[in-house]
Parts: sequence; C-alpha cells; structure tokens
Amino acid sequence: MVRLQLDPFLNELTTMFEHTTEKGSVWVTLKHSSDKSKVQKNKMITAGKELEYKCLVRATDGKKNISTLVGTKEHQRFQAYYATILKARMTSLKKREKKDKKKAADADKKQQVSKKPKTTTANP
Amino acid sequence: MVYIMSWDDFVERSVQLFRASPEKTRYVMKYRHSEGKLVLKVTDDKECLKFKTDQAQDAKKMEKLNNIFFTLMARGPETDISEVTGKEQTAQPPKRGRGRKQ
Repeated sequence: MVRLQLDPFLNELTTMFEHTTEKGSVWVTLKHSSDKSKVQKNKMITAGKELEYKCLVRATDGKKNISTLVGTKEHQRFQAYYATILKARMTSLKKREKKDKKKAADADKKQQVSKKPKTTTANP
Repeated sequence: MVYIMSWDDFVERSVQLFRASPEKTRYVMKYRHSEGKLVLKVTDDKECLKFKTDQAQDAKKMEKLNNIFFTLMARGPETDISEVTGKEQTAQPPKRGRGRKQ
C-alpha cells in the first residue's frame, strides 16, 4: 500500500479509471482512522493523549493499491476534486431512459456505423 | 447479501451504522466501467449494507453520500451533517466538550 499526498493520489486514481475502461473495476474505500496501530493507540490512551482522526482513503484496481489521509482542513477541497474525477470518469452509467429516444438512437446507430466507427460508445 | 433497493433507506442506515461503530465501519465504492455498474457498500464486518445501480442519476446521489462520509470521517462521527444533506435536523444533540476518550 503506497501512501500518497492528496494530489498525487487523485492523479493516480484518474489513471486507474483510465486503465479499467475496457475491463476491470476500481474500488475506493473510505474509513475513519487515526492511522495508529492498536499498540500505539493503547499507549496514547494511557498517556492521556488525544487521538487525531482523519479520513483514510484507499483505492485499488486489483493490481495496485494506493492510499491517502484526508484531514479536517483538506477534506472539502479533496471532496470537490474527487467528485470532479468521478463525474468525468463514470460515463458508462445509463442516463435516464426515454423510450422514444432509445429506439431512435438504435436506428441512428445502424445508419451511422459507416460514417463514424466510434459509435460503440453509445450506451447499450 | 441482499441489496437495499431504496436509496434513502441506504443512506440513513449507512450513517447509523457508521455512527454506531465509527472505527470499524468502511465505505466502499466499486465502479466497473465495462459493464456500467456501480456498487456501494457500507460495512462494519458484522452488518453489511449494499446498493447497486447502473443509472447515472444515482451517481449524482452518491456524490452527496460521499460528502456526508468525508465530513463524518474527517471531522468525526458527531459532526452535524444537516449542512451536507440539506435536511434540517430536528433534534440536535447537545454539544460536547473536547477530549472525549474512546
């Protein structure tokens, strides 16, 4: 597990989304964490120190694991960037269906195949 | 595991689960581009809540849930999320002092 700073993490996450367009999945996990082991935690508790909790974000495409810690100060900025990435990458989800439109799209597809070979991106 | 069908139900129960065991609960998003599939999971390894969709409009809703969880996890489970959810919270818990031990 590679621990990254916020921006490199987001860049790496974008790469993961790009690499999994044809096959594979991307997992992103959020967890409330103090980033301390149990022993460290117990030590701090006995010492009366306050544990600092952050949001641990992990991501994987099944091959590579990356992670980052998002604190109170950065979470809003991170959240906004993260949302932008998701919006830009999650393009294979279905739009709200309109019956007429769907039929029309299918008809169009057949006609346009000769002109534009890249019509395969149309949602099935 | 059975998927929860109602989005609102899923959100409500996820937040409840996190608040009940903040240190154990994780929130996982899985996205499969090739099949246009999105699965959300919230679990504390005892209870597991899942939601599956292929609709783009649900991704928008997920954005809100992401914001809720980022806020809760970065600021702590006691944080008031009414700002994020846009819903008014009727019973606001009394504000506690700092230094709560766990």
